[in-house]
Amino acid sequence: MRSLSFVRLVAKELRELFASRAFWLLLLFVGLLAGHGFITAVGLYAEMSGSGGPAALPQGLTSLDGVLVPTWGAYDLAATLLFPFVAIRMVSSEKESGALKLLLQLPGTLVSKVTAKALVLLFAWIVSWVPGVIAIVLWRSYGGHVYTPETLNLLLGHLLRGSLSGGLAVAAAAVAESAASAAIITLAFTVGTWALDFVAAGRGGFVQQLASYTPTAALRSFEQGLLRWNAVVVFVLLSCAAFGVAVIWLNTGRTIRSRLLSTLVLLIVTVGAVWVGAGVRASWDVSENRRNSFSAVDEALLRGIDQPLKITVFLSPEDPRLTDFEQNVLRKLRRSISKLEVDYAAASRTGLFEGADEHYGEIWYELGGQKIVDRSTIEEVVLEQIYKLAGVNVPERSTDDGFPGYPLATQPKHAAAIFYVIWPLLVCVAWWVSRKL
Amino acid sequence: MWDNVLTVEGLTKTFGRRRVLSDVSFNVGTGEVLGLIGPNGAGKTTVLECIAGLLPSDSGTIAYRGDRLSVNRRKDALFYLPDGILPWAQQTVRWVLTFFEKLYSRSPQKLIAPLRLEEVARSRVATLSKGERKRVLLALGLLTPHPLLLLDEPFDGLDLRQTRDVMSLLRSESAAGRTLFVSIHQLVDAEKVCDRLVLLNAGKRVAEGTLTELRAQANLQDGGLEEIFLALT
Repeated sequence: MRSLSFVRLVAKELRELFASRAFWLLLLFVGLLAGHGFITAVGLYAEMSGSGGPAALPQGLTSLDGVLVPTWGAYDLAATLLFPFVAIRMVSSEKESGALKLLLQLPGTLVSKVTAKALVLLFAWIVSWVPGVIAIVLWRSYGGHVYTPETLNLLLGHLLRGSLSGGLAVAAAAVAESAASAAIITLAFTVGTWALDFVAAGRGGFVQQLASYTPTAALRSFEQGLLRWNAVVVFVLLSCAAFGVAVIWLNTGRTIRSRLLSTLVLLIVTVGAVWVGAGVRASWDVSENRRNSFSAVDEALLRGIDQPLKITVFLSPEDPRLTDFEQNVLRKLRRSISKLEVDYAAASRTGLFEGADEHYGEIWYELGGQKIVDRSTIEEVVLEQIYKLAGVNVPERSTDDGFPGYPLATQPKHAAAIFYVIWPLLVCVAWWVSRKL
Repeated sequence: MWDNVLTVEGLTKTFGRRRVLSDVSFNVGTGEVLGLIGPNGAGKTTVLECIAGLLPSDSGTIAYRGDRLSVNRRKDALFYLPDGILPWAQQTVRWVLTFFEKLYSRSPQKLIAPLRLEEVARSRVATLSKGERKRVLLALGLLTPHPLLLLDEPFDGLDLRQTRDVMSLLRSESAAGRTLFVSIHQLVDAEKVCDRLVLLNAGKRVAEGTLTELRAQANLQDGGLEEIFLALT
């Protein structure tokens, strides 16, 4: 009987989803955005793959960077600016119409009622992926290469991103009096995470660690073919906590003080769980070109270093050399060396006024009481310095990294018709049909 | 004399600095139609929502058949039908009724004619007039299986004929053993449908009893509820 009631609650939420214009607008706009991203990406990919460019460029081309991430970038935008409104509507419409007073009295716990909403939101998010999946199918039909593990990893990232976005919006709608206030809270949170991303760039320490779990930053690692266990755990925990906040605040029979206290307890428990989860360093490089890893030989040597390695970087956050260093070296080192400490020592943000600092541009490596100062951000050079400090012989390296690259000079055939004409028509027809049900 | 199905004792509620209920106590007898009457702002809806557990009270106890009823167990014992709500506005009346019907495994058949639901079945809830909406809401309330039903202004928005039909429907529910606790601001309607009455004014319980008992409390030989109300408040 209980499970039957739950099924009926889910069915009710599904009907409410289909009755929501926000959902149909999400489908409409995400199709246009994904389509635009796909058409532009395929065109650029073709340009980079064609003759006339630098010889090395086509060989390094990957579908993940060139087509999938730009196309699915539409979903990052949708998770930020469109999907929250679908989630807010699911709660706010019942609060504002008074239906919540009936819902609270229906069979089943409030947890089951919010779970039904969460499941339907997840369904809505996955349905909105149809244009993104069509883009992948089209790309394959053009002869494009798709590496399944990194593609699934990208989808997992967007699934978690959507869950968090939906959870936060539902929590905001449960706490706020109106849909408008909930939208402001949700957008304020998003802007806050952007600000945190900006502030944390090149800072190191706790702020950078915290910023690595903002939705945008955490999604970035999935986009780079890296499956970080701690990112998955933190996304799941935060999403569950957000729906938990909704459960607390939708219970109108409790006093505000009691709800605040429960929220505080939930937040403390969540922070503790996130702290533990974030400490799990396991990660899998599922990218085809192993872009997040050193070569197997280097990784084995680096894992053998059991002394703490300290790296002090005298580069400002907006210096492109720091970006190179982060992307090509530090990201991989963090996965290979367990006792790694990185200190960002530049005083300014841009580095424009640090010309007088004699150390600016330097990178210090300290291990076992020894120190080496260097300026290079090239992977091979950095590794040589670390091996020198650790007293390890530099291994022989092959110039061929074994990754062929997948250049493809093709045009996005039929894509404009599918994304700009057929998809909007399909959405409109589906909306019209749903109104008749 | 009715056996008490619900006992409310010392119910107090404040919104900020404004006290809207002060130590309100009364009993609801099994199978009776108890009316909660009072002017606008007397606190009738607040009483119902506190009993239903949708609003926290500052103090007071609610007992169901003699046992204290925690907030979490309220929805097992009673169902509260609010006034002025527009539930699931984009859905059709037929769907909303079917949702409740399936949820509680009860047929709406006996409600269709007296509440004239057939004529609005295909309409969306958002498009209903005030009276139509009230009829649909009443149907939802009557589809629930709870032994105690709390109704907030069940006649508000209904015309004379509809009011009579709904009164008759409520009386038949009561005759079938269901207890009804009804908030009404139209005293004429209250007098017709209720077995007993609780008179609320400015958040305080002024009187409780049958019409005859209230008349005695107001020291009136005869006269209707309006006269009693004016005499007691």
